[in-house]
Amino acid sequence: MEKTRGREHFESLYKKNLELTKKQVKESVNEDSFIAHAIGNVGELDKAINLLSKRLREWYALYNPEMERETGEHEKLVQAVLENKGKREKNSMGAEISSGDLSQIMLLAGQIKELYDLRKKHESYLEEIMKKHCPNMLEVAGVLISAKLLEHAGSLRRLMMMPASTIQILGAEKALFRHLKTGKKAKPPKYGILSQHPLIGKVKKEEYGKVARTLADKISIAVKVDYFKGKFIGDKLKEELEKKFQ
Amino acid sequence: MAKIQKSKIFEVYEAEEEKRKLLYTINLTPEVKVYDEILTKQDNIEYRRWDPYSSKLAALILKGCPNIGFRKNDIVLYLGSASGTTVSHVSDIVGKEGFVFAVDIAPRVMRDLVFVCEERKNIAPILADANRPESFADRACEVDIIYQDIAQKNQVEIFLKNIKLFLKNNGYALLAVKARSIDVTKNPKDIFKEVKKVLEKSLTIIDFRPLEPFQKDHCMFVCKK
Repeated sequence: MEKTRGREHFESLYKKNLELTKKQVKESVNEDSFIAHAIGNVGELDKAINLLSKRLREWYALYNPEMERETGEHEKLVQAVLENKGKREKNSMGAEISSGDLSQIMLLAGQIKELYDLRKKHESYLEEIMKKHCPNMLEVAGVLISAKLLEHAGSLRRLMMMPASTIQILGAEKALFRHLKTGKKAKPPKYGILSQHPLIGKVKKEEYGKVARTLADKISIAVKVDYFKGKFIGDKLKEELEKKFQ
Repeated sequence: MAKIQKSKIFEVYEAEEEKRKLLYTINLTPEVKVYDEILTKQDNIEYRRWDPYSSKLAALILKGCPNIGFRKNDIVLYLGSASGTTVSHVSDIVGKEGFVFAVDIAPRVMRDLVFVCEERKNIAPILADANRPESFADRACEVDIIYQDIAQKNQVEIFLKNIKLFLKNNGYALLAVKARSIDVTKNPKDIFKEVKKVLEKSLTIIDFRPLEPFQKDHCMFVCKK
């Protein structure tokens, strides 16, 4: 290491470091960053859609309470509001409102529909990008869970370095540290992000932990294969999983 | 407005306001803010307010540390620079003739730091892993003082490695210990004691201060090689 001091020396060090760092920052962007932002925005959109849909529900119910009550899902309600174009049953309980009042409701419904479309576009973008980036994990865990795992770990490399037990409870940090701090009083979490996997919903409650553990194992294998660009074994892993919990 | 005057610490200024002590450094780049700090002008010199709640070094001074080691014209190695909040004040302290090497591993915060460095010609950004000091040895040089604020489990080990490689003899080294990132389950006080034991083996500890109430479960060691 150099020991030289003096102003000219620092000037060259400054220039060299600034240039190098700028280059490094430029090169640090990869698929992982795009995936993290896309899945982050899916979460953001879900929150926004839910908030706006609730408002739409209450607002539209002033005019057509019968249909609001009939339609359960937010997305369907938005669709119905847009398709109905202000028609309703003749003896409806809803108030008589002017076309100006109704137009605002329609505008809101239109915006929510746009948000739903954006979310769908994000999802298909994620699927496309991950088919190249981590095909095995995509096959085993599905689009949203894989993306969330990647976002949580920070990069494919870091997710690859994690043991399966860490992957299993990724996203349940609060519960994990509560358990570690209080000892036996709080039970350790069984799963974090993995709880959204369809396989966990299929089995009995007693088997939730078991499924999460096996699922995490398979994901861990899949990620390792993905990182080192191995052969596609996702379908095999998935088959093994499904066979085990039938 | 209370008058800003010299404090006991080199190049750091203070003012009394509503029984609170406020810290300032002279702004190296007049009229340019680094974060959303408050700029105050007095006698044609511009000062930047130094917030102890966002900077552990400022907290250390307010906790009454008599000597933080930083002086004008010093060459500093700053590990864990983040977006450059504290780094900018260190750059104020060492002045135009001094120099700061700011090391961080995360590209995201480095992006912000690069903009700070473009304003301040005495900070050199280094995007590298402080855990492997050899990896950026050719980008830095021997330094007068090392300051480390890294939230890693092996932060003490990292600190000692960097001291061995970069710090001159009799140089100062400051370590901000985040107890929660060493072990969440243990009592912070026990962790501080353990850290103290390790540091004592190779360094002389000049000062040790917990940073309550400014920073929770943090403490700062001031050592000398």
